[in-house]
Parts: sequence; structure tokens; C-alpha cells
Amino acid sequence: MSLFQFYAHNSREALTLIGQHLYLVAVSTGIALAVGVPGGVLLTRRPAWRGPVLGLANVLQTIPSLALFGFLIPLPFIGGIGARTAIVALVVYALLPIVRNTYTGIAGVDPAVREAGRGMGMTDGQLLAMVELPLAAGVILAGIRVATVVSVGTATIAGAIGAGGLGVYIFRGADMVNNTLILAGALPAALMALAADGLLGLAERKLAWRAR
Amino acid sequence: MAGAVTGGRRLALACGALLAVGCARGDRVVVGAKNFTESDLLAELVAQQIERRTGLPVERRLHLGGTFVCHRAIIAGKIDVYVEYTGTAFTAILNHAPLADRDGVYRAVAAEYAERFGLTWGKPFGFDNTFAIVVRRRDAERYGLRRISDVAPVAPRWKAAFGYEFLERADGFAGLARAYGLRFAAPPTAMALGLTYRALADGKADLIAGNSTDGLIQALGLVALEDDRHYFPPYEAAPVARADLLGRHPQIARALDELAGKISEDAMRRLNALADVEHQDIAAIAREWIARSLP
Repeated sequence: MSLFQFYAHNSREALTLIGQHLYLVAVSTGIALAVGVPGGVLLTRRPAWRGPVLGLANVLQTIPSLALFGFLIPLPFIGGIGARTAIVALVVYALLPIVRNTYTGIAGVDPAVREAGRGMGMTDGQLLAMVELPLAAGVILAGIRVATVVSVGTATIAGAIGAGGLGVYIFRGADMVNNTLILAGALPAALMALAADGLLGLAERKLAWRAR
Repeated sequence: MAGAVTGGRRLALACGALLAVGCARGDRVVVGAKNFTESDLLAELVAQQIERRTGLPVERRLHLGGTFVCHRAIIAGKIDVYVEYTGTAFTAILNHAPLADRDGVYRAVAAEYAERFGLTWGKPFGFDNTFAIVVRRRDAERYGLRRISDVAPVAPRWKAAFGYEFLERADGFAGLARAYGLRFAAPPTAMALGLTYRALADGKADLIAGNSTDGLIQALGLVALEDDRHYFPPYEAAPVARADLLGRHPQIARALDELAGKISEDAMRRLNALADVEHQDIAAIAREWIARSLP
């Protein structure tokens, strides 16, 4: 059966899986943003934490997804089987690029600019909101872009833990030795990743243009 | 076009050369195995049994690949013996629809292999490696579950989780639910097969479909229920050997016959657990089993 025939016969299921996939990516990237950007900012204020926190994020990144699921299944609240466990794993994988780029972006702000802000009597909060974050926005957005694109691909592992998404077709195809099925999952995931990369790239360029 | 012919001729020459090498390797017996623990273990058992009963040198080519790799290897004479499952040979190699009649499947497979491939099926070892419906031992005791048909009354309160293959296959979940009248609280969760064991052991699912001889079943405090309506097709394990080898060395067939009926499903689960859960060396496991079971 060709890929087109497959989609024609299974359009409702395919759309449901695409929807689940988008949901998983959106929620997990959202949480990673909400945790990662403040986390990165915090690291610039507490330099001693930088090594341990980035080290931990690095280590988490290297845990294979199936092993991570194995650890997560018995845990209360964040574990079990289903979408929640998949989102926890995706957040874990998305954190590193966001935290690191936020830290790098802010740490890279010219000290003279920061001094000028202080000289104008800015509080730390004002300095962050009006000087550091705007100047670091490009680098932070680059981190978000990496995290999102990687998430779109990684979200296929949700199929391993009963959370649906396009990974369902990939896992089913791999188990049944059916290449059409694998493609039916991989192709839309790849297109989604390209689209996310393009959109966020556009936002990055807009930002760079505004900064000029 | 001419290039293609030359290419074909070159390939034929290469094959001929390989065959010649195959014959020239003398009377070394090559035992192969598929790429999973049980296949490696059984190959090691067969290899040690041939070594000690015939004195012929045995070469091990374990963990080769899937069913088709082993099948092609034995037909090409790259290996002489490997362990196959009747149901796999019947459906995957011979392309028949699954059949429940175990003796019928064995007879059909043995006859077709002899005729089409020059391969001889030895006597089955005594266990099936088929799908198994697995529950927690605690639940089995509380609800008195021994057979799959005992599950129907508790199923509406239960959550099932299955691997993708089981949900898709002709002899998988849909047929099982029909055969046993099983209705669960929600549609079964589709997930990676390896993780279903964890989910069951940790109480996140109540019923899964595993492999009947998987070592994890015992290690995680789980039990496999008896397929009392004989829904799953038979997958009896037995050695498959090249007929020409057995013709030259009839003592190999006699050595293999000694293993017939000696390994129960329970015993195979224990052997797999020694390798997969306790990470013991498979050669040592096989040696110990032979010392204990075949004096």
C-alpha cells in the first residue's frame, strides 16, 4: 500500500496522532520554557550553581528514552504510563538547550552596558528586563529553536509509553516490518520539525533586525 | 546489459567459491542462533551436546540476526544447525496462515523443510515460546486466576497494555478478546513491549501479553496464564539441521534426540532468567543444565 492510500484510508487516526504529537511538543516545550529561562537567569546570579546544574542537565540528556521511561513508570505524580510520563521525559530533554542558551546569552552581555544601566540607577530586576533579556533574546531564542525542533523528533518516543503521537506509526511499523507505516509516522514528524525550525528561524531574524 | 551478465557470472563464481570453502571446512559442525537470549542459549546447549556425544569440533555463530538471516545461512550451508520455532517456520518462512493444531504444524513444517530445503527438523525440546497472557502473581492468587478464561469476570475493572505487534497481528489481541470474551475498562494501551513488564510489575497496568518463556516473568513476580482455549498457535522449539550433515554423521541426530522433551516452559523461563536477569554466562548455564539433566 502506498503512503497516500494509507493516509486516505486512515485519515482520522492520522490526524488524531498528529494532534497528539503537537500537543506533546507544545506542552513539554512550554514547561521547559517556564522552567528553563528562569533557571538560566538564576545561574547568572548564582555562578557557583552553574557547573552542577548544567552538568545535571547534560547527564539527563544522555539517558536513553526507554531507560528514562523505565525509571519514571513507578514514580507517583510524574510517572505511570500515558501522556504525563512522555511530557516529563520531553521536558527533561528540552531543558538543556534552553537553560544553557539563556545563561550564555545573559553572561555574554557587555559588562560596560550593564554598568551603564546600574549607573542610571536600575534595580537588578530592571536591568534584567530592560537590558539583559532584550540583548540576550537572540541567543535564548536560538536555544528555544533547538529545543523545539529536537522535541518534535523526540516526541515519537511517546509511542513507547502509551501516550500516542506519530511514534505510534513508527513503532507499529518497526514491529510489523512495514515501511509504509514507519514512513507514515516519520514523514509528518520531519515536516513538523522543518516547519518549527522555519517559523522560529523567522522569529530569530525578526528579532535580530529589531535589535539593529 | 553485458555488465549485468558479467556481474551475475561473477556472483555465481563467488558463490561457487564460497560453497567450495564450505565443503573444505571439513567436518566442523557450525551451530547458529537468532539474535535473542533464548536462541543463543539453546544453540549453546545443542553445541555442547554435539561436542560431548560425537567428539566433532563445533563452531558457534550465535546472535546472527532474525529468522530470515538464520534461514538463509543454513540453506547456504554457512551454518549446519540452529533452533527454530514451528509456528515461525510455518507462517514466516512457509507463508501459511496460523494454525492451532500443534502436531499438524510440526508435521507440515518437517515435511516441507525436507522437501524444499534439504533440512531436517529434530524432535521438539518440550516447550512453546508463544505469546503469554501475564498478570501479577498477587492478583492471580487473590482472584484465583490460573487460565485466561478466568480473567473475563475481572477484566472490566482492569487496564491492559500491549506491545504494537500483539495489537496488530492476526493472532493478537482482537482475536484473543473474541476467543475469551475479554472486555477491559478502556481500550488497551499501546506501548513498547519491554516497558509493559515494568508497567505491570509497578501496578500501572493489570494484564499484558509477553513471551511465554521470558525470564522477566519470574523475576518480576508475575505469572503466565494457561491458554485453555488454545487460541495462540503453537511455537514449539526444535533443532533444524542440514540433512546432508545428519547423513554423514548419524550420531548428531542421536545426540539431538536426547534433548527431546527435556525442557519445559518453566525450565526455559528459568534458564532465560539466569542469562537475562542474573547475567550469567550462557556457556556456563548450558554446561550446568546438561550436567544436571542429561547424565
